[in-house]
Amino acid sequence: MSQALSWLIRGRSSKASHLLLAPATFWLAVFLVLPVASLLILSVAQKGPYGTFLWSFTWANFARALDAKYLPVLLRTLGYAGTSTLLCLLLGYPLAYYLSFFAGKKRDLLIILLMIPFWTSCLVAIYSWIIILGREGLLNSLLLRLGIVSTPVAILNTPFSVILGMVYFYVPFMVLPLYGSLEKIPRTYIEASYDLGAGKAATFLKVTVPLSLPGVFAGCILTFIPCMGDFLTADFLGGPRTYLVGNLIQNQFLMAQDWPFGSALTSLLLLSLVSGLYFYQRLEARELEME
Amino acid sequence: MKKGGGLAAYCGLLYGFLYLPLAVMFAFSFNDARRNVAWKGFTFKWYVSLFQNAELLAALITTLELAVATALIASILGLLSSYAMTRHAPFRGRAVYSSLLTVPLMMPEIVMGVGLLSFLVRARIPLNFWTLACAHALIALPYTAGSIRARLLSLKDSRLEDAAMDLGADEWQAFRMITFPLARPAIVSGALLAFTISFEDFVTSFFIAGIGIVTMPIKIYSMMKFGVTPEINALATCLLLFTVLLLAGNHLLDRRQKTL
Repeated sequence: MSQALSWLIRGRSSKASHLLLAPATFWLAVFLVLPVASLLILSVAQKGPYGTFLWSFTWANFARALDAKYLPVLLRTLGYAGTSTLLCLLLGYPLAYYLSFFAGKKRDLLIILLMIPFWTSCLVAIYSWIIILGREGLLNSLLLRLGIVSTPVAILNTPFSVILGMVYFYVPFMVLPLYGSLEKIPRTYIEASYDLGAGKAATFLKVTVPLSLPGVFAGCILTFIPCMGDFLTADFLGGPRTYLVGNLIQNQFLMAQDWPFGSALTSLLLLSLVSGLYFYQRLEARELEME
Repeated sequence: MKKGGGLAAYCGLLYGFLYLPLAVMFAFSFNDARRNVAWKGFTFKWYVSLFQNAELLAALITTLELAVATALIASILGLLSSYAMTRHAPFRGRAVYSSLLTVPLMMPEIVMGVGLLSFLVRARIPLNFWTLACAHALIALPYTAGSIRARLLSLKDSRLEDAAMDLGADEWQAFRMITFPLARPAIVSGALLAFTISFEDFVTSFFIAGIGIVTMPIKIYSMMKFGVTPEINALATCLLLFTVLLLAGNHLLDRRQKTL
């Protein structure tokens, strides 16, 4: 017993390493790989009566996902996720820049403050946004009182409120990788740029921004992927006209009980994830080559 | 104006945006009105009714148990794997393991949810407390493994363990008396993150919780779906305070780790 333990702890043989990694590998296999495989297999099966499946190969679920009824949902999801990602980038970059270049001693505190909304339950934040944006909500009563509008405007259950919700949830996902890559820029490069006569704007655009691009891509992927899979924001802050792929998937699995179609939709979501990651890896590899 | 003053003002606004919902939630948890639209006066009644709500308390206990189980499983998995990755001689496939361990981070929650649902149901694995805890542990694994691995790597090599063994300790003693105490702050901090992840998780639980298990987020979801109640604000305020305490604890641990 104690000899086996010593062998395991010492780890000169790769067998010992694989043995220690076996539990984690088992977990990854059962709770990640097999579920994804099961989705991929189901996506080409057919729905049978009473929630059963017919195991004959078909592309019909994918064809259905791309037909005239559901294509708009896919395109809308892409549009919302893209818009939210872009807004997160535009809103988040100045903050990341400030954290990296100006925050000084306050930096640690500011980063923790950025994480707290991210670690609170998203349901609760959604509930608050309903109070703020609703027809008789805080924003509308403020607008009425200031005389900007004379009757309450519809803010909740519009594309605006869904995108606002997404931006709210995912800005921290954008800021942290941006901040990470800004931190990596050697400050001497920026000084060199000033010494060579470049102004502030030129230095920012030609030195800082290009060197922070890996963070920009990482942030965009980390924001875009969860936005594509979102269903809670659209469920509570949106309406029938803001139905997204996430809502459709949820519906297929929990209400309509059409798992093969739901799996096909989820596979399409996975495809967007895999292509995003592939793109990112290639960029990173190029980055490493340049170094 | 100070250097970066305009930028600082902008960042203030952005933080205002991020904290607006939390502030509204906090303020309205004391609002004496059934409907959440206007201020009707100060009250503690939502907090009182919160602590008298048996269903809610039951959900809280389930969620806490689940979070503790998740933290335990994820810490053990994380410790074993990061020990092999940092203390063992380099072996084939180490890079593959290390990238596999980050995959759960990238998975959209809904993919995890429906994937687990379809697999577990078809494999006839019962959807119960432990299945949910194991699924949460997988989501938390990148955090525990990452935290412990970073700590073990920051201690460069196994010089201290070697010294202990030169002085006559066997491998197990060296692990128990040197490696484990050194890794402990990272284990605790990873466990706290795992706890928080499980505690806040809605999407995965929503899909695979089965019929009997009602966690706090699932309860909040059904409260939101079937009627608006100001109790949610009071509940959310309590949960927020709890999360802030957890994160503060984690931060203090991190700091102690750095000074060690």
